Amino acid sequence: MSEQERKFLEVKALKKSFGNGETKQDVLKGLDFTVAKGEFCVLLGPSGSGKSTLLNILGGIDNADSGEIFIDGDRLADMDEKGLTRYRRKHLGYVFQMYNLIPNLNVKENIETGAYLSDKPLDIDELLKILGLYEHRHKLPNQLSGGQQQRVSIGRAIVKNPDILLCDEPTGALDYNTSKEILQLIEEVNRKYGNTIIMVTHNEAIKLMADHVIKLRDGMIRRDIVNTEKITAAELEW
Amino acid sequence: MDNNKIFFGKRPKNPLIKRVWKDMWRDKKRYLMIFIMLVATIGMVSGIYVANNSMLDSLHKNVAELKREDGHFRLSGKADEETLENIATGELADVPAVYRERAYEKAEGEVQKAVDEATEESVAEKVKEVIRAEVESAVTEQLSQAEKKGVKYSEEEKQSAIDEAYENALTESYDSAYDEALKQAKETEEYQNALKDALADAQTEIDKEIDEKYAELSDRYGLDEKFDPVPVTIYELFYKDTEEYRADGDNIGKVRVYPMRTDIDLYDILDGRSPENENEIVIDRMHADNAKIKTGDTLKIGGTDFEVVGLVSFVDYTTLYESNTDTMFDALTFDITMTTDEGFERINSNTRANYAFTYRNKPSDEYEEKLLSDHFMKALITQVAVSEDEDLKIEDYVPAYANNAMTFAENDLGHDKIMSSVLLYILTAVMAFIFAVTISTTLEQEASVIGTLRASGYSKNELLWYYMSAPMIIVLLASLAGNVIGYTSFKDTIVDMYYSSYSLPNYVTLWTPEAFIRTTIVPIVLMLVINLIVITRTLKLSPLRFLRHDLKRSKRKKAVRLPKWKFFSRFRIRIFLQNIPNYLMLFVGITFVMLLLSMAVGMPETLNCLQDTMSDSLFAQEQLILSSTEDDDGIIITTKADGAERFSINSLERKSDTYNEEVSIYGVEEDSRYIKLSNDICKDDNGEIQVYISQAYAEKYKVDPGDTIVLSEKYEHKEYSWKVYDIYDYPGGIAVFMTNGQFNKAFDKDEDDFSGYLCNEKITDIDSKYIAKEITLDDTLKIARQLDHSLGAYMVYFRYICVIVAAIILYLLTKIIIEKNERSISMTKILGYDTGEIASIYLAPTAVVVLISEFLAIFIGFELMAVFWKYMMMSMSGWFAFTMPFSGFVKEYVLVFVAYALITVIDFLRIRKIPKVLALKNVE
Repeated sequence: MSEQERKFLEVKALKKSFGNGETKQDVLKGLDFTVAKGEFCVLLGPSGSGKSTLLNILGGIDNADSGEIFIDGDRLADMDEKGLTRYRRKHLGYVFQMYNLIPNLNVKENIETGAYLSDKPLDIDELLKILGLYEHRHKLPNQLSGGQQQRVSIGRAIVKNPDILLCDEPTGALDYNTSKEILQLIEEVNRKYGNTIIMVTHNEAIKLMADHVIKLRDGMIRRDIVNTEKITAAELEW
Repeated sequence: MDNNKIFFGKRPKNPLIKRVWKDMWRDKKRYLMIFIMLVATIGMVSGIYVANNSMLDSLHKNVAELKREDGHFRLSGKADEETLENIATGELADVPAVYRERAYEKAEGEVQKAVDEATEESVAEKVKEVIRAEVESAVTEQLSQAEKKGVKYSEEEKQSAIDEAYENALTESYDSAYDEALKQAKETEEYQNALKDALADAQTEIDKEIDEKYAELSDRYGLDEKFDPVPVTIYELFYKDTEEYRADGDNIGKVRVYPMRTDIDLYDILDGRSPENENEIVIDRMHADNAKIKTGDTLKIGGTDFEVVGLVSFVDYTTLYESNTDTMFDALTFDITMTTDEGFERINSNTRANYAFTYRNKPSDEYEEKLLSDHFMKALITQVAVSEDEDLKIEDYVPAYANNAMTFAENDLGHDKIMSSVLLYILTAVMAFIFAVTISTTLEQEASVIGTLRASGYSKNELLWYYMSAPMIIVLLASLAGNVIGYTSFKDTIVDMYYSSYSLPNYVTLWTPEAFIRTTIVPIVLMLVINLIVITRTLKLSPLRFLRHDLKRSKRKKAVRLPKWKFFSRFRIRIFLQNIPNYLMLFVGITFVMLLLSMAVGMPETLNCLQDTMSDSLFAQEQLILSSTEDDDGIIITTKADGAERFSINSLERKSDTYNEEVSIYGVEEDSRYIKLSNDICKDDNGEIQVYISQAYAEKYKVDPGDTIVLSEKYEHKEYSWKVYDIYDYPGGIAVFMTNGQFNKAFDKDEDDFSGYLCNEKITDIDSKYIAKEITLDDTLKIARQLDHSLGAYMVYFRYICVIVAAIILYLLTKIIIEKNERSISMTKILGYDTGEIASIYLAPTAVVVLISEFLAIFIGFELMAVFWKYMMMSMSGWFAFTMPFSGFVKEYVLVFVAYALITVIDFLRIRKIPKVLALKNVE
């Protein structure tokens, strides 16, 4: 792995606070870390630790107060609003805790909303099969279970074959079994398509399937671990 | 990682495009409502434009094809050939030269006579002196010879002999001597000088007098200003005014009959054919429709029976104005007809010497036309002044551009276009705002989806055009459908409406680019701009704020604190506060409807009110204006009708840049029973004439007692300034009142001069040949009657349309409010509230807003309508204010309330249908 690939994502002295004066609250207090290309990185931490804020800044939908972020050598701070939109369009996929599907588009059409953003999207039928949704491709979101909806949401994010997939508590609203299915799917996507995955979660168990775990607390990195003994998602228990 | 196993596909078409159609189908009721409203309005406006354009094109073509006059003038009698030829040159007559020539000619004779008389007297005296001297010398010589012979003569005998000889000599040779002497005297330089001097003195006197008069004339007519001759071709267009009766003797009204028109002001036959013999006549198509006359009917006109063989539209009477100074045309009781020349001779009525003219060099634009008409009027005035017939006077001069009978219909069609466009734009703006509010609500509901799409890389523009698509598609489809309907059925409806008001010719439907632009491009642009502004404002927010459902621009951290009212009241207030933008939209919509309703309800009410006030305020049931106040024997014409009272009347103009208003000046007896003026009216300290002005005058031109009004002679530059003493309660016309004495003084008339009689009884003992005009209540009601006929029926339909528009606007806006609160309503159901309670929470604030909005909008709508009305009246002669009785306001309130009540029922059902599970579902 080249130095460039090893530092595919580089965060330097990243700070973010909300409010001002007496109500000022430092959410991120100077973070430094790198993520390698194709790595499955988990941002772990309790509520209020700043992990979602970090994810949003990495995704270009929120701004840092100071510090720098480099993705594949590009400095995020150099990008204006249009540049950020282009960056998200070409390089990022987003998966949220809530699936945020378009209610009057069917499964396939929802995935097409992601495919439209890419000049070279993945084959949708192939992807639908991988997602286990091929049989349901003509259904509307409200005809699907929560897990299925999250699969659609992952499909929408992954169909444009992004360099980085950002997942914000993707299993937060799902039960144990469905959560494991989703984690298995993300693992499969990471394996098959080689995307760098950054997942925010408060579930300690998930760190075991990650290549890289960054533990946050009070806006600071408490531990930055490379997991050399990772297990599969199927093996996870909590 | 085995990349070989990855399959790539093609980039799909934008799936959001599919969603646009799905969105529209999901919300089909709302889109359908908006679509129908836009189609109806665009169709109507497109219809108006197409009908207007086609009709105007036909009218314009007819100006040339049917040889429309460029103007006409009426003289007091038939003019001689020379005068007409001189008028046709369009050159200014040298009035001073002609007057001087006439005066010199007259003076020359008189001077010659005077000088000759003086010379004759002098010569006679001299001849007599010479004869006497010669006789005296001869007789004295003879007597001296006789005395030498011894004859004695006394002195008396000598004198007597001289006298006798002198008398004999006078008898024998005086005449020849006198003639010879006179001849010699007249040949002398002295005589010629005397004659020349006397003539010069007389001419100096004449020049002085004429120069003074011409200076005044020149000042009045602007004769010294730059003048270019306006050569014209003159056509005799004589007519007779008389009464029109049906075969059964039923009086229809007034009629103007023309002989056969062949060279000027031709006509378009809409039914039947031209008259071919003295028993046949063609009449105006519009009047025929109104008076239910058809071809084949017999009419008695001027004491003679005529068969109606055709219904026509005369190019110079597209609107039936009896006189150009009438406030309103009258197609109900006034008719324009034409028979053969022989038929014309059979009509028992005075011939009016009316002449039409056309400019030999056609003006290129309206400005030039006005200039030509001004110059030609000067030529006309001067040429008539120098006519051999010194009694010839101009009674009327109307250039085509100022002739209401020719221009009113055309202008009115233009006004319709403007009015309908304004209505279309207001309605489109209202619809665009409804769309914008709907889309704002959708943006709120779909905030997380938008946030996700933005986070995934969708640009603001992609989402903007997606959300803009539905309104743009709807307005585009509505424009297309509206234009199709406009060109087909609506155009015919509009044309029928025009045909029922004006005497219009046949027309051919034309492709009208302006209609397309006004009804397609402008609504699309309006929809685009309004939605663009509203949607762009929201889409500017960051993806994160969408994901957090944080779309409020003003970040209110704390909820508004409410007083300690009952829970339900506070709940309702919260609903109100949450929906303020929607309620503002509701208020705008209701105001728009109220403006339309003001017209629909107020117009008939105003006309009714006008008819009532006209009847009440008419100061005498009959105003008889005499053509001459003396009969053929020179005796003052009187009447024995009970209460008849002399009055004077004259017309002046209130000149302004935009419109010259004709003002009637009344002079009445000091203690008149009909027009009661204060006895103090004459007593101004400065000796200035003080007058009353009619209430209509005061209201139209905002004149108060104490102000000074300035009026002018119509064809002269003479001005009259009068101080307003008070306002006279007469809403029927623009008038000035003064005493007869003041009147005669103001207009340089004899002390006892008058124009006619005012009386509450019908005056029957004055020979009709002395009557110039008879004004009755019927005449004054002409305007109300014609407007009622033209618009009355449409206003009723218009009211229903307003109710439907109100219902649709209310439906669309209340739907948004309920949709916004669907989840909350669902939750309140889960909590155990019944539908009645929920409705009272969610519908009551809307009800209160509607009721208050209605109340405010009624007055705003009325005020706006009053402004439009005033704008309209300022371009017309006469005045009556837009009035709305209390019952009219109530009617408006009730009509909109009925619309609201209907929508409330629909809203109630809508609330009942909201499922409880909605609140438990995910946001999607």
